[in-house]
Amino acid sequence: MTSQPDDINLLEAIGGAPPSTATNVVEVTDIHKWFGKNEVLKGVSMTVRQAEVVVVCGPSGSGKTTFIRCVNHLEKIQQGRIKVNGHLIGYREENGKLISDKERNIARQRQEIGMVFQRFNLFPHKTALGNIIEAPVQVRGMAVDEAMEMGRKLLTRVGLAHKEDAYPAQLSGGQQQRVAIARALAMRPAVLLFDEPTSALDPEMIGEVLEVMKELAREGMTMIVVSHEMGFAREVADRMVMMDDGLIIEEGTPEHFFTNPQQERTKSFLSKIL
Amino acid sequence: MRAPRSALAVGVLVVVALTLAGCASERAPYPYHWNLFFDSIFRPDSQILNGLFLTVVISIIAQAIGVVIGIFAALGKMSKVLPIRWLANVYIWFFRGTPLIVQLVFFFYGLSVARIYTWPDLTLGPITIEGAVQAGIFALGLNEGAYMAEIVRAGILAVDPGQMEAARALGMTPGKAMRRIVLPQAARVIIPPLGNEFNNMLKTTSLLFVLSVVELYSVFNIKQGNSFTPFEYYLAAAVWYLLLTTIWGVVQSWIERRLAKGTPGASAAGPSLATRILGFRGPSGGGH
Repeated sequence: MTSQPDDINLLEAIGGAPPSTATNVVEVTDIHKWFGKNEVLKGVSMTVRQAEVVVVCGPSGSGKTTFIRCVNHLEKIQQGRIKVNGHLIGYREENGKLISDKERNIARQRQEIGMVFQRFNLFPHKTALGNIIEAPVQVRGMAVDEAMEMGRKLLTRVGLAHKEDAYPAQLSGGQQQRVAIARALAMRPAVLLFDEPTSALDPEMIGEVLEVMKELAREGMTMIVVSHEMGFAREVADRMVMMDDGLIIEEGTPEHFFTNPQQERTKSFLSKIL
Repeated sequence: MRAPRSALAVGVLVVVALTLAGCASERAPYPYHWNLFFDSIFRPDSQILNGLFLTVVISIIAQAIGVVIGIFAALGKMSKVLPIRWLANVYIWFFRGTPLIVQLVFFFYGLSVARIYTWPDLTLGPITIEGAVQAGIFALGLNEGAYMAEIVRAGILAVDPGQMEAARALGMTPGKAMRRIVLPQAARVIIPPLGNEFNNMLKTTSLLFVLSVVELYSVFNIKQGNSFTPFEYYLAAAVWYLLLTTIWGVVQSWIERRLAKGTPGASAAGPSLATRILGFRGPSGGGH
């Protein structure tokens, strides 16, 4: 992807970096998750500071996708606490007990958490621009004109200004994923979650999506990325996290993580994917 | 090509059979009053036109009610709340498990004789809607809702669950996500069977004759009774219903073509118009 230095600032398009009321944007404390009798998260904790980029990797079945889906309560945790911007997610606390929150409150909390899916999940009955403005207008109550102006800026900055009227079925996978990132950004989330955002893409389209993600990282977006793109991780991650069997088994800076991993499991995993 | 030819063959057979039956009879051949038939079709009197109007209007209103109830019943059936799920299931179970004609007479005669509801005439500005018509629309709509519920549910289940997740990840409440994202996509799946339901509805309204509603069938039933010419008048009634369902078939094809726009590879989906109207499938016809 050709870079256009003056015209790619993504956060400027949504009116600057999203406001954060807490230095720790995400605080996950000892969460447990069961699917039936199968415990898939066995006590995971993680703190993500503002503007930090955390890349989570691990073998399939390690719980990394489940973990990221718990952060915005697409999966319900059975134990532990998740806070985003200081707000407890999915539950409210009364006398030290966790009580499931109302859907309306959960929906409000999710507005602060953007999510980019492996399979894009764009709305097929709406155009690229329609996908981007849907939530700002319908959820945030933004005026349509204003939302469209912001949406066009975002599309320009992910390199798709000419595609605003295209339906998802008319876009390539890489283009769809870039629209999906713009759609998530349009809600001005405090944190963006990426669930294997390039795994469903043809190899020649991975680069264009990673470019957008790198740009976001440079601009100071807080991000948790589940990915096996180790080149990307080495370049932009502030912290690497290795998960295995429902637990975080190792974490550290990319230099430490890639050159001097401590755990045998991490060494063997890295040797397989690098 | 094969479908129209088989239709023709069937037509020829019917004519031959009628002729043979006429000749075989020992009595004098029946003096067909073709003028009654042709006048009913080409110069319909006000009774026929009123009946036609009632049939179409009742069908549209009852179908609309059925769709709305069907959406709620489908959502109820998929609800997380047990009593709501239970209620939806009982509703569907009852209306699919009892004959429509029983529902019609029960809701009209049953309720009014028991003085639970006496179906008074309803006056809306210049028009008055008879109690029997109201009861008919009510029963048809409730009955249709039970069938629409299954159709709507299938449509919702056909939408990728990722769509609901994406909508909710953007901060939509479940209701808004359903309305704005899931139902519009389910509509594409729902429209073809909905069209078939309406085709059925146009014909099913003829059952309202048991409530003395003078819709299309009742009009011809009265006419044939007065002159004892059932052949001519019932044939005319059949032609009128055929005309209604054929026109609807054209409208339905047009709607489906419009809905298919923007869906890749959907242009060839669905049976052709001829196939739909004649009810035959050509050798290459796959369809659904």
